[in-house]
Amino acid sequence: MEERKFNNLQMIALVVLRVMAGWHFLYEGVAKLMLPNWSAAGFLLQSKWIFADIFKWIADTPEVLKAVNLMNIWGLIAIGLGLILGCFTTIASLAGIALILLYYVCNPPFVGLFYSIPMEGHYMIVNKNVVEMAALFVTAVTGTGKFAGLDRILSKLFRKKK
Amino acid sequence: MSEEKKEVKKETSGKDDGRKLDRRDFLQGLATVPVVGLFGAALLKEASYKKSRKAAKAAAVPGRLSEINVALLGQGAQGEVLLNAMLKIPGLRFRAVCDVWTEYNQRRAVNLLKKYKFQVNAYENYQEMLEKEKGLDAVVIATPDFWHAQHTVDCLKAGLHVYCEKEMSNTLEGARRMLLAARETGKLLQIGHQRRSNPRYLHCNNVILGEARMIGRIVTINGQWNRSAQPDLGWPQKYAIPDARLRKYGFKSMAQFRNWRWFKGLGGGPIVDLGSHQIDIFNWFLKATPIAVTASGGTDYYPKASHEWYDTVMAIYEYETKEGRVRAYYQTQTTNSSQGYFENFMGDQGTLVISETGKRGSVYREVSAPPWDEWVRKGYVTAPMLVEQKPEEETEAVLDVRETISPDEHKLPIEFNDPYHKPHLENFFSAVRGEAKLNCPAEIGYESAVSVLKVNQAIETGRRLEFDPREFAV
Repeated sequence: MEERKFNNLQMIALVVLRVMAGWHFLYEGVAKLMLPNWSAAGFLLQSKWIFADIFKWIADTPEVLKAVNLMNIWGLIAIGLGLILGCFTTIASLAGIALILLYYVCNPPFVGLFYSIPMEGHYMIVNKNVVEMAALFVTAVTGTGKFAGLDRILSKLFRKKK
Repeated sequence: MSEEKKEVKKETSGKDDGRKLDRRDFLQGLATVPVVGLFGAALLKEASYKKSRKAAKAAAVPGRLSEINVALLGQGAQGEVLLNAMLKIPGLRFRAVCDVWTEYNQRRAVNLLKKYKFQVNAYENYQEMLEKEKGLDAVVIATPDFWHAQHTVDCLKAGLHVYCEKEMSNTLEGARRMLLAARETGKLLQIGHQRRSNPRYLHCNNVILGEARMIGRIVTINGQWNRSAQPDLGWPQKYAIPDARLRKYGFKSMAQFRNWRWFKGLGGGPIVDLGSHQIDIFNWFLKATPIAVTASGGTDYYPKASHEWYDTVMAIYEYETKEGRVRAYYQTQTTNSSQGYFENFMGDQGTLVISETGKRGSVYREVSAPPWDEWVRKGYVTAPMLVEQKPEEETEAVLDVRETISPDEHKLPIEFNDPYHKPHLENFFSAVRGEAKLNCPAEIGYESAVSVLKVNQAIETGRRLEFDPREFAV
């Protein structure tokens, strides 16, 4: 018998964290889907820091921009559903981290960089993106989908078929 | 008990425990599925909010239209604005254009109409037009103010419905004649206070101030129309009107013809040209007419010989409404455009700022007022805007105990991108078809004229002038 890692309350707390992060991802995706003319162009064009040229190239190249917009929207939705349902939890968490990391390096809150899009708080280096990445790091390594999530059912089915 | 604990202990590790899929696996495996349902419910609620906002924006859809035969009387700058708006309105057939500046205004209008496939007859003299043109239904008058009364009365008597630009007339006597002629002939007379038909203003009057009473008891108002200094209007020399014709129509010179708004006896100056639109809104939104006015003004900047009317006017109106006394400040200056033009209504629960330009249209909730969640949900105003953070060095001032926290800004939900005059003209033509009531009939135009013309009088006398309620009645 394996050593117990977390008690019930701790597990529930981790599941709550996962579901909340998932909700946020899902809505970010759905909201963009519902806006008829939503595009990442404005966000990309504001890019500062060392990758600015790449992001601006994406915004300025219609075909690439279209692909990026679609991947962004459906990526957000898929990650959101994965996290809420606890389905492929680890993959969803890692994908989420990768996506947020892109947002972060596009417009990082570094000292001396200012953006015209208003923010609702004050950030220095660490912003909510970083906090969410850290949260997803937790959900990626704790595998809570196997406690409360579809992963629990999937893993057993998969093992059984084997 | 201890066994159950053991079992929990095993599975909470999140690791595969090697047992077969059982009921507990299903329950816990699907434990978070209801969250998706919750999400869906929230999404539906949001969708219905958006739908109600969209419905508030939706304009009326025109059905099949009977054609209205229209004549245009006066095709100067304002006439052109009206014509361009009318060209976007279906169901109109333009038949005639009349303008004394045959060399320029008249030709421009005829050519423009030709582009839209309207063959119109052109006239210099409106009486000739009324005699020769049979089958006209309506006329749109945009001549200088001092001609409004004569033109309107004659057109009404010739059996036409009349849309007449504001100011109704430069004299109350003239305005009264117009109103009486409309009553006598039973024809429609719409005065061109076009904000009365603007969907954004209608939303403010009917919903924000009316149904929701969002800003509470209005105590003070301020409004302004500030405009940059401008040179006098000129004219191409080769198109100058011969002196004899100018005199026939009441002008001393071509310069006076072009700049008639500045001359006593012809126009009323900026307070009448600009102020009358906005002071009319004071009356409309307060559902009252003023009881007194104090004013200061003068020709402070331009030469007095060419600017008989005041280039700078500041006026304070007093109103007695059902809810109590209201004081309304209005200024118009023609030497600096700071802050442009707007009307600002201040109640004990909030502030409504509105302007004909789409740029301004917000409602601010006083911090002490009850929440507006219900109005936001119903789509009467948008959710509050985030206030942009300023870099710290710009906000060193610490909130003083005498200040209140600045209130949240809610935007009006209605976007309006048509020409400003289009809805008012549409309202007129719908009324001609018997499908609508005029939004600014002669009675309202008259009240507005009484309110505004008194400002010039107050400046001349240098005294606070009171309004007798009987002055507003004809």
